[in-house]
Amino acid sequence: MNDLSENKQFAALSHEDRHLYEQFLVENQLFYGPDPEIMSNHGLSKRTGTEEKMLTSVLDMQRVSLVRGRLNSALEESFTMVEQMGVAPGAKWGDLVTAIFTSVGDMSQVAPHGIVVFASVCQYPIKFIRKYWENDPSVGIREGDGFIHNDSRYGNIHNTDQSLIFPIFYQGELICWIASTIHEGENGAIEPGGMPSIAESRFDEGLKMCPFKVVENFQIKRDLVNFLQNSVRDPKLQYADMKVKLHSLLRLRERVMAIIEEFGKDYLITTLRKTLEDTENEVRRRVAELPNGTVRINTWIDDDLREHVLAKIPISISVKDDKMTIDLRGASPELSNRSTNVCAASMKTCLLTNLVLYCWPDLPKNQAVLSAIEVLTDKNSMIDSSPEAPNAMSLLPIFQCFSLPSTIYAKLAYCLPKRYSAINANHYNQPATFVYGGLTQHEEVTGNFCADINGNGSGARENADGEHGISPVFGYMTDTGEMELAEEELPFIRLVAQQLAKDRVGAGKYRSGMGYEQISTVKGSNEFGFMSGQSGAKHPSAYGCFGGYGSPAYPLAKIKNIDVLEILKNQPESFKFSMVDLMNEQRYEGGEYTVQSALNFEICNPGEIYMICQGAGGGYGDVLERTPAMVLKDVEEKLISPDYARRIYKVVFDEKKFIVDEDATKKLRQDEREVRKQRGIPFDTFVASWVKDGPADDIPYFGSWDDHRKLIATPPAGNRYVMDADNIKGVMMSNPKDRKIKDLQMENAALKKRLEAIGG
Amino acid sequence: MEANQKFRNGSRRAITTDINKYFGIVVMKRISVDIGGTFTDCFVAWGDRYVQAKALTTHQNLALGFNEALGDATTQLGIETRELLSSVDSVRYSTTLGTNALIERNGPRIGLIVTEGFGSTVPLSRGRGYGEGLPFEEQRDLTRAKRPEPLVPISMIAMARERVNYSGEILMMLDEEDLKHKMKYLVDQGAETIVVMLTNSVVNPEHELRVRELFLDEYPLHLLGAVPMLLSHQVAGRKGEYTRATSTIIDGYLHNVMYHGLGTLELNLRSNGYDKPMLISHNSGGMAQLNSTDALQTVHSGPVAGIASSEHLATECDLGNVIASDMGGTSFDIGIVTEGGEKYYDFHPVIDRWLVSVPMVHLVTLGAGGGSIATYDQLHDTIKIGPQSAGSDPGPACYNRGGVQPTVTDADMLLGYLDPDNYAGGRIKLTAARAETAIEDNLSDHFDGSVIDICKLVKEAVDHNMANGIATELRSRGYDPADFTLLAYGGNGPLHCCGIANALQINRVLAPPFSSVFSALGAGNVNQMHIHEKSTYTVVYHTGTKKILTDFRALNAAIEELENRGREDLLRQGMRGDAIKFRVELDMRYGNQRVETAVPIKKARFEGLHDILELIGTFHAAYGARFGEGSQATESGVRINTLRVTSFVDLDKVHFGNIKPLPEKHVARPIGERVCHFVGFEEEMIIPLYDETALNAGTYIEGPAIVTTTSTTYLIEPGWSFHSSNHGAVWFNRLTAH
Repeated sequence: MNDLSENKQFAALSHEDRHLYEQFLVENQLFYGPDPEIMSNHGLSKRTGTEEKMLTSVLDMQRVSLVRGRLNSALEESFTMVEQMGVAPGAKWGDLVTAIFTSVGDMSQVAPHGIVVFASVCQYPIKFIRKYWENDPSVGIREGDGFIHNDSRYGNIHNTDQSLIFPIFYQGELICWIASTIHEGENGAIEPGGMPSIAESRFDEGLKMCPFKVVENFQIKRDLVNFLQNSVRDPKLQYADMKVKLHSLLRLRERVMAIIEEFGKDYLITTLRKTLEDTENEVRRRVAELPNGTVRINTWIDDDLREHVLAKIPISISVKDDKMTIDLRGASPELSNRSTNVCAASMKTCLLTNLVLYCWPDLPKNQAVLSAIEVLTDKNSMIDSSPEAPNAMSLLPIFQCFSLPSTIYAKLAYCLPKRYSAINANHYNQPATFVYGGLTQHEEVTGNFCADINGNGSGARENADGEHGISPVFGYMTDTGEMELAEEELPFIRLVAQQLAKDRVGAGKYRSGMGYEQISTVKGSNEFGFMSGQSGAKHPSAYGCFGGYGSPAYPLAKIKNIDVLEILKNQPESFKFSMVDLMNEQRYEGGEYTVQSALNFEICNPGEIYMICQGAGGGYGDVLERTPAMVLKDVEEKLISPDYARRIYKVVFDEKKFIVDEDATKKLRQDEREVRKQRGIPFDTFVASWVKDGPADDIPYFGSWDDHRKLIATPPAGNRYVMDADNIKGVMMSNPKDRKIKDLQMENAALKKRLEAIGG
Repeated sequence: MEANQKFRNGSRRAITTDINKYFGIVVMKRISVDIGGTFTDCFVAWGDRYVQAKALTTHQNLALGFNEALGDATTQLGIETRELLSSVDSVRYSTTLGTNALIERNGPRIGLIVTEGFGSTVPLSRGRGYGEGLPFEEQRDLTRAKRPEPLVPISMIAMARERVNYSGEILMMLDEEDLKHKMKYLVDQGAETIVVMLTNSVVNPEHELRVRELFLDEYPLHLLGAVPMLLSHQVAGRKGEYTRATSTIIDGYLHNVMYHGLGTLELNLRSNGYDKPMLISHNSGGMAQLNSTDALQTVHSGPVAGIASSEHLATECDLGNVIASDMGGTSFDIGIVTEGGEKYYDFHPVIDRWLVSVPMVHLVTLGAGGGSIATYDQLHDTIKIGPQSAGSDPGPACYNRGGVQPTVTDADMLLGYLDPDNYAGGRIKLTAARAETAIEDNLSDHFDGSVIDICKLVKEAVDHNMANGIATELRSRGYDPADFTLLAYGGNGPLHCCGIANALQINRVLAPPFSSVFSALGAGNVNQMHIHEKSTYTVVYHTGTKKILTDFRALNAAIEELENRGREDLLRQGMRGDAIKFRVELDMRYGNQRVETAVPIKKARFEGLHDILELIGTFHAAYGARFGEGSQATESGVRINTLRVTSFVDLDKVHFGNIKPLPEKHVARPIGERVCHFVGFEEEMIIPLYDETALNAGTYIEGPAIVTTTSTTYLIEPGWSFHSSNHGAVWFNRLTAH
């Protein structure tokens, strides 16, 4: 009988037929999806011929340095242009970048104030363009072309960010690439604002632009823009920011061409490559400074934005000489119809961001920071999800990943004689902000997010308290903006704009920086609503360091069916500008008071109240070592209550005079130390009592338990099951509304049965 | 006094010039002064003579240093102080007093009242307050981020129960009883000044005004211990609760210091025969009497006066576009003046460590000066300059005052550019061995070349750094550096200007006259001027409804209101009503973008659709010039966000006459020669040295050469020429222009 296997038959083909066969497959490709070969490789590409020639000859390092300085100036200039001209709130308040890439697509240099993660992830679409479009006669790559892209599966953080990418040619030779990315917001998804929490498939996520050509001869093709505008709620934003990116890149291109003219193309090419190799070498050198060994921690996100879950994201860092391995295996399996999955390529750039912001902030911000490091994940896990899984709100695991390496890097670095950053506990690491959408008071349709995301409490340091509400985990010198300006454009009223959230702090010898409350209502529109999505309502997201406490948990809250605008007018004395007081007192009759974890988009009727809270970071060191003077200052500034000071810090003081009773404090603290000793048990005893065989039955648990090769899934209203890490299948989750209907039906049936029983 | 005397004897250089020779008869008599952190500079125009003088600043009583400098000037003029002061048309001050007060934190205890719900707005400082005013390297290290010590501690912030929305509608009436308790709390806590910032007060100030009424009822001004209260809408006219609050806080913080410091000066003037109002330079590039000056307006007025000086020179001498650059020992300041004397403003500048809302002449400070430290950049195997600086204490290694790190000045010295015995007029003796040791100890192990080779790397790197700083500034505003003349002043300006110009491909550089008192010179040449702003939300073109603005009444009324405020300011200071002029600018944007493009309007009032279309066209052109033709986004809608009226009176200027390159080229006689080394040249060169006589008008020298004076060193690099003009102005020209 003939062997019908493809391999056997292929082997039997003549050379000519083989070519014909391969050509047939290439020419009859139905669809160019994300390329696994590109997406799985976060390393540097091989040197090109020019790079190899230059880097193996005698280089004028001063010349390379001058080119680098010139590029820096050019990138800053183009960044400023985007920030100035950009229409999206993300552009106005710092969520953007301009960057330059090598000819093969490696990200070499980024604008000094740009968001590094945006640029790092942009290497992937460039590599896709080169692989698939360069030799396609219907596309090609030519001088004056520009490609647009937003689909995270081809390399992006999430689909709300849009990039414009330009090749730069010199005398017909492709020299390098430049790109500009903005967090645009609205993208036509199932919910407004670009980050739909209820997306159940990738087809709910709005625009999915794999890289395609939208600029020819340096002109945006208006027919394509029109198509894109037709697909989103805010066509004004779509077009305006494409022009912004185009013109900033044209300017950047002009500068790059001038550098080539002055220093020669070879020096530009070499500088881009040398910057990467220098960085990679420096990372290896710094890794080698660390002690060999492994440090680890388990973290969880507690929500998938439709229901509470406990989805594990573990991390371990192993150092062996100059090699570092970051291992995230054992993470939750992907949730096939929830929006909180993330592609591995995106996730890796978050690790990179953490390293370059919290471990080695003096390093150049380019992709080589991670290329020297091995990263291990499980395919089809929540942090290495398949192209089919929705990931529109990947921000939940992503924000966790933005802080993961530094969470345990402290344990490796604290003993080094020279540290490149202060040892720090977690920065607050969830995207707590209002996403909004609808019709404004100026009759404009909009959808986006608020700049409050840029004000997160920082972690405590080895020698200082954290800072309240500074930059988010993904950037620095970003801006929370001005509420007066936001209210001018949008129909909401910030009843509480920024108020530090009392008692919500990561305590420790040094406390964390604190987050702040925001209370909003709507005025001037009947068609405007909010969405908000973050983890941490039940399980803290930011962890303490060396004995410091983690951040508290932060639920959202809302009061429907009231009109606070009427209340402010007619009974103003009754209104408390405090989330805690409003929810505890519930003084407005008829109001529907709800506390919840995430908020799917819903209309906020004028006068209804929505409340969220930016979080605190983690604390550092033992609370009993915090000086009473620092505790008292926090009390005086109403950051903590007197009760908190006594309970947590064990400080005794006169509440009216703010005078510490030193002796009583000393005694109270000593007593607490004695109590701790009494609570103490031998490690083995602790392990025996603490370690369980598996998660409790009533916990909707996802991820490994004691064996990272076995992954647990507990879909709601379903049975718990275990998968091999090598063969993860996405978990299908039932619709919460279906479950609610089913519960109500059962309740209805039971009531009917009772009625029948009593003869009704 | 002894120190002053020593300084005067050692460094005084007066330029006295017969201006009739160049410009006809001028009868200007004027004193302008710049009180800096170290020196009080004085420039006197006395008819046909110009005199410059310096003294050490006397912080305990500014009048002492001023009198010292003035005494120097009168000695040069051969007249008595009283004769001088009673004869001049004005005495004008620019000062860094406010900047120093902020650094020293010697202001009053401030209480802040904000709208309830906004209690943490100031402490949170928009999330980025930790890094404002810091170098990039510190901004990006979040693990060591630290906000500055607050001017208002959290415990001194009280909240008023009230709310006004964006359009001025009152959503919640002010709770007056509650407010009284809060005010009492702040007073009891020792508030010496109270600042009030209520939301949207610039649109509807009713509540802020009511707060002051209530406060004055409770704490009348005539009683001892009266506490001044400042209202945010009266200090800053723009929306933006944070920047308005910080502006008002800084204004309140500096008020007493400035009032007493400047008040003492005014009393001193009066007791010496001056009977006119003293005038204060503003950071807006204008000036006003003391009684019409906010403390906030004086911050940075010294460096801004330097830019005003550049503007005056540019206008007077038809220089076209000018980059004003001041390279000193620790910093490098840049300002831009484009053709026609147009100044660039920052509407949200950073003062010390705070972002504020005040129209201030754009000034960028880079951390590069003679004291910038050169280190080995291990990562890229190259040299790195700054951001650390040896400052003036201990200073560069060659100062021999304990500095062990190699600096730009050390490299300059070893390259042969500085005269070890006559640096800074001989006040500082340079020690080559120290500089050499610093480079050998810190850098030589990392580079193959000699010490001299390393010095060349330092020189080239710092020149390129400064050039990149200038390029970023200009290009992000749509300008090409090649279209500018570089104005180089400050102690290290003429030393590095050719190197910077090389990197920028600029063909000519002007080392201006009177450069050692350049800011004082600027203070003497500004107009009496006030800027008033008002936020607005005026849709000029609504892209959804496709409607263009046709009802201009509100817009015209707002412009009129701002003009009236400016007119009142100037009339109060004795200006003639018919001399008052107005410049109206509208800050415009496309859609909801951030950038606001200042669009000057030709007519003071809008009368028809034609005016609106013309406005859109002007905006279109200005935007395109800055960001590139085609970048305009009119289809996203057009809006006016801020109205700004500049009210001013054109005052007489000090005319220098011609400082342009002269036709004559005199050969100067070198006083010696020295071995020097230059970037791009392998071999050492023996180059001629010249002294101060090279500044005589018409002197022409081709590089390489060095001219050393008591205040600076002019380095004429290979490929450049030196051509002195009148008043000590020097032109550097590239011999083969780009």
